[in-house]
Amino acid sequence: MSRLTVDGLVVEFGGLRAIDDLSVSVESGELVGVMGPNGAGKSTFFNCVSGVLTPDSGSVVLDGTDVTGAPPERLARAGLVRTFQDTRELETMTVRENVRLAARDHPGERTVPALLGSDDARTTEDAVGERADELIDTFDLTHLADAYSGSLSGGQRKLLELARALMVDPDVLLLDEPFAGVNPSLTREIAEHIRALNEAGTTVVVIEHELETLTDLAERLIVLQQGTLLVEGEPDAVVADERVVDAYLGGGA
Amino acid sequence: MRGLDRLPTGRGNRALLVGLGCLLVGGLLALTPLRVQLPSALYVFVEVGIVFVIYGLLVLGLDVQYGHTGLVNFGHVVFFAVGAYATAMLSAQDTFAGVGLGYPWPIGVAAGVGAAAALGFLLSATSIRLRDDFLAIVTLATAEIFHSLFVNLEGLFGGNVGILGVPRPIASLVADGDTRLVATVFVLGGITLVTLALLTRLTAAPYGRVLRAIRADELVTRSLGKPTTTYKTQAFVYGAALAGLAGGLFALYNGAVAPGFFTIQVTVTVWIGMLLGGAANHRAVLAGLAIIMGLRLVSRFALTVTPISGDVFAAVRLVVVGLVLVAVVRYRPAGIWGNPRELGVDR
Repeated sequence: MSRLTVDGLVVEFGGLRAIDDLSVSVESGELVGVMGPNGAGKSTFFNCVSGVLTPDSGSVVLDGTDVTGAPPERLARAGLVRTFQDTRELETMTVRENVRLAARDHPGERTVPALLGSDDARTTEDAVGERADELIDTFDLTHLADAYSGSLSGGQRKLLELARALMVDPDVLLLDEPFAGVNPSLTREIAEHIRALNEAGTTVVVIEHELETLTDLAERLIVLQQGTLLVEGEPDAVVADERVVDAYLGGGA
Repeated sequence: MRGLDRLPTGRGNRALLVGLGCLLVGGLLALTPLRVQLPSALYVFVEVGIVFVIYGLLVLGLDVQYGHTGLVNFGHVVFFAVGAYATAMLSAQDTFAGVGLGYPWPIGVAAGVGAAAALGFLLSATSIRLRDDFLAIVTLATAEIFHSLFVNLEGLFGGNVGILGVPRPIASLVADGDTRLVATVFVLGGITLVTLALLTRLTAAPYGRVLRAIRADELVTRSLGKPTTTYKTQAFVYGAALAGLAGGLFALYNGAVAPGFFTIQVTVTVWIGMLLGGAANHRAVLAGLAIIMGLRLVSRFALTVTPISGDVFAAVRLVVVGLVLVAVVRYRPAGIWGNPRELGVDR
């Protein structure tokens, strides 16, 4: 069954159609890459799917439920988590707090258990702390655990954002340019993490400019251009497609 | 300048113990024949101390709203006023003007807290989704609207005279003036300390982490599955309810309420105290409030020994407060004990 389906999506900003009748679907357990030139509508597509934007028309269906226009918090609790292209850390909080915050269904986040310091809240916080430290360690951020995330470098922010997204324990993970501004060795590392995550059963959709990284990583590519679906298919076929070459290299059509 | 001079936040257990101790001492003074003598030089300190602990509830509530959650409330006095008026109107007996229903005072206080919380909820429901600056305008306007209502609806609120004849529980138990003052400062101080302890627990818990995350970036917090509107509403209502409690206690201490007690000056004092001490740190905001109120108190004495007129002196006092604020903003933008990294002002 398809995990995520977008049908007839339209998003307009003023007179501009950022997304123009886009229909794609992602199967459960897939690792899909989304590419396209600047302004193709990749991030807008993510914004619609993650509830940041409500599309002007069309529908977003997650696990058979219509979630068009549902708020981000509802989608996150349903297991769909996204990262942001311009890494958005909670800069005034430490790395550890950033990751711990993302835990789902924490009783300590409700007033009465928080005030009473209930056993439930405390044991959950201990477990959350352990899991958070594991993730922080996985992404080589242990030495920065108590640093304010505003002091991290660009690459470290990408890692933190990934760790934080994983803390939610997502079923569907949307990654908006997880490799942007990241050095090659870190890129490989992040790609490994994504692959491992996907092998463990998480459905992953990745936006990326860098062709090579994406063709290595994804099982299937979706190429957008001016808000519409240009090509989709296996990476090798897509990269060889003339229309994609034109869109990317600007050759005459 | 780092580390040592930060007031630790802790878990609030000590504040809870000291607060309960204060309540016990105050209770003993009020309920037993125990009497204290107060040197006359200390009167003014105790009187200002009583106002300080009442305003302490205001600054703690405002800090939950602004310091922790980032909600800009420029009308905090309105919740204080609504709490005080509701308490007064329900419990006053021989009121000169306005409504006095003569119910027992605990019902009055409960109504005061409830009314302030309800107003807080109403403002949240209409305005909490707005941008920060809009919420600031809405709260400021609400405070002005209520001030006008209190002044102009004489049949209901007693106009400029306000509502007299509000019961004074501690005064009714203790005839002796010195003991009464000391008992009052202990009881009210105890309530403020217990509040401090409870809020410290709340904000040290994962609950407080969500509030601080909202302050940092609401969209990210939502994207991690937190219903931020619910949290913002809760934080706003808690702050409003605390201000309502402060208002109720003020009415029962003062024995009367009138519009003159609830001017924008109250909001300004509490804001200055919070920013001076350092937002998002419960002890720091109380310390900041103590500084600003202490400055006023000291300047009262200074007036008696300086040869200038009262008007000029008042102006000079404003200038001094202004300069202190400018200095804090310039050299310690997070406040004296605030954490610049946590408040995002270290660049």
